[in-house]
Amino acid sequence: MMNRTRSCCCALLLLFLSIARADAHPHVWVTLHSEILYSADGAMTSVRHAWTFDDMFSAYALQGISHAKKGQYTREELASLAEVNVTSLKEYDYFTYARADGKKLKFSDATDYWLEYKNAALTLHFTLPLKAPAAAKAMQVEIYDPTIFVDFEFAKDKPAALSGAPPQCLLTADLPHQPTPAEQLRLSQLDNAPLDASSTYGEIFANKILVKCP
Amino acid sequence: MNNMNNLRPVVLMVAGAILAISVIDPAWAQGAPFGAPHHATEISPQSGLMAWIFAKQAAFYRSLSGFIRASKDDGAAMWSLFGISFLYGVFHAIGPGHGKAVISSYLVANEETWRRGVVLSFASAAIQSVVAIIVVAIAAVLLGATAKAIGLTVHVIEIVSYGLVILIGLRLLFVKGRGLLIAFRELTPRQASGKAAASSPQTGSIFDRDDRFAATAIHCGCHDHGHVHHVHGLHCHDHRDHDHHGHDHHDHDHHASAWGHAHGPEPAELAGAGGWRRGLSAVIAVGLRPCSGAIIVLIFALAQDLFWTGTVATLIMGLGTAITVAAIATVAVGARNIASRIAKARSGLGMLMMRAIEVGAAVLIVAFGALLLAGYMASEQLWMFTG
Repeated sequence: MMNRTRSCCCALLLLFLSIARADAHPHVWVTLHSEILYSADGAMTSVRHAWTFDDMFSAYALQGISHAKKGQYTREELASLAEVNVTSLKEYDYFTYARADGKKLKFSDATDYWLEYKNAALTLHFTLPLKAPAAAKAMQVEIYDPTIFVDFEFAKDKPAALSGAPPQCLLTADLPHQPTPAEQLRLSQLDNAPLDASSTYGEIFANKILVKCP
Repeated sequence: MNNMNNLRPVVLMVAGAILAISVIDPAWAQGAPFGAPHHATEISPQSGLMAWIFAKQAAFYRSLSGFIRASKDDGAAMWSLFGISFLYGVFHAIGPGHGKAVISSYLVANEETWRRGVVLSFASAAIQSVVAIIVVAIAAVLLGATAKAIGLTVHVIEIVSYGLVILIGLRLLFVKGRGLLIAFRELTPRQASGKAAASSPQTGSIFDRDDRFAATAIHCGCHDHGHVHHVHGLHCHDHRDHDHHGHDHHDHDHHASAWGHAHGPEPAELAGAGGWRRGLSAVIAVGLRPCSGAIIVLIFALAQDLFWTGTVATLIMGLGTAITVAAIATVAVGARNIASRIAKARSGLGMLMMRAIEVGAAVLIVAFGALLLAGYMASEQLWMFTG
């Protein structure tokens, strides 16, 4: 009797595990290129992003946007969508997280934003100014979605660049690493314990830019 | 002493259920909603498989756009599109938002059969596909609405869907919770009257009678069970009927009242038209929420002037989803049947055990609904870029 009860327990446990196991699934893929901008005195001032959405999400975002010529959208026709994009992104901190020597930096609202439609894909251009320019030996900029609904990945050919940085500064760009088993397990439980915007779990999937200025 | 031994399997079952719940949702175990990552790493081989499924469904999804594009002037590509759509549905349904958990819990709580589980799974997946198609057909094709407006529509539908899930869970919790209470309460009087009957067989029937009324009073929440007339006069007609039927065997009475308590479905009634109607409410609650993937695929197809191809692909995707959900639902029903077979071997405690499982399943439905609602609020998914 005890054995049967125990096996019954196991069966139930497995059942609930099986119905609870689930994976998050991104529905938006972004290929990004980011530029770190510096002022004349060698302090980092802002990040300039160019995010290219996958073709399906691009089509979704373009739904209902009036345009004069089929299959073509001018920057003006896309101006209102660009506005909506950056306004929505503000709530998610633009998925951009910066640290100067380990200390968190804050960004102001996006400026200089526009959308470009090319090769059936939308590219969102925008600049994120730091609240206060910062100089640091090790500057880190990460781009990721904590809720991993958006899959960010550096463009393979041109992931990141420096603009106006002191000559001794060195830039490296790292793609997300392969999740460890523990991270995968957490990933599989997102259905029942979703990540909120304050979670740092998505950091695993962060695209990291590191600027070292010795 | 004997009593303690009898209780042990029940305690084990409850412990098992609690363990299962805490594994499902680390937030409960850790006391903080959406808390830190779960630390149980011993199940990692399984998560390797899940990671593979995760990667597969992402790859299928990303290849959909190419196939939709190609199917514009290539009939063969269209068939590949349908094949990929099916596979995407099968793999994708393992992910969140396809009602596996809610449907399975519903089947467990309601003592549904395997066949009904499969039918309900297919029905909910079909509704899900059709809702996505209707939303895109009306909003995008007819009204030329923007992604923002479509997102808002889906958003409202989601809230309604999750709200309905919570309501269905609460209703089940109410019905099954009272069933559990009866099963629990009836253990004590049964043993007491059993002893009494053994010591004086002549008066057995009188004891039976009193005991039955006492039980009836408990069932109806009338604590004043000394007043027999009071019990008769109130809303306890069902139980009184049961009592009349089973004068000779009070044990049987308790079972009958536990099944049919609180106007809950009798097993026979469930299989009838009313049962199907009830099943329909669960199916609609679960199926109402369209999958974001289907919406995006449909709008992408529409942008390529291939709305009908997209519609067929969405329905095939739903078929794939249905198979996954039905498979999981079948496992759920099977597990319940195993538990029920074990429970039948021991009348009183077995009944208690089954009622406990049902209550657990009802609690899960409420929890899933609440978590979905909260999860939706935490990550606004499609609205990240389109407002």
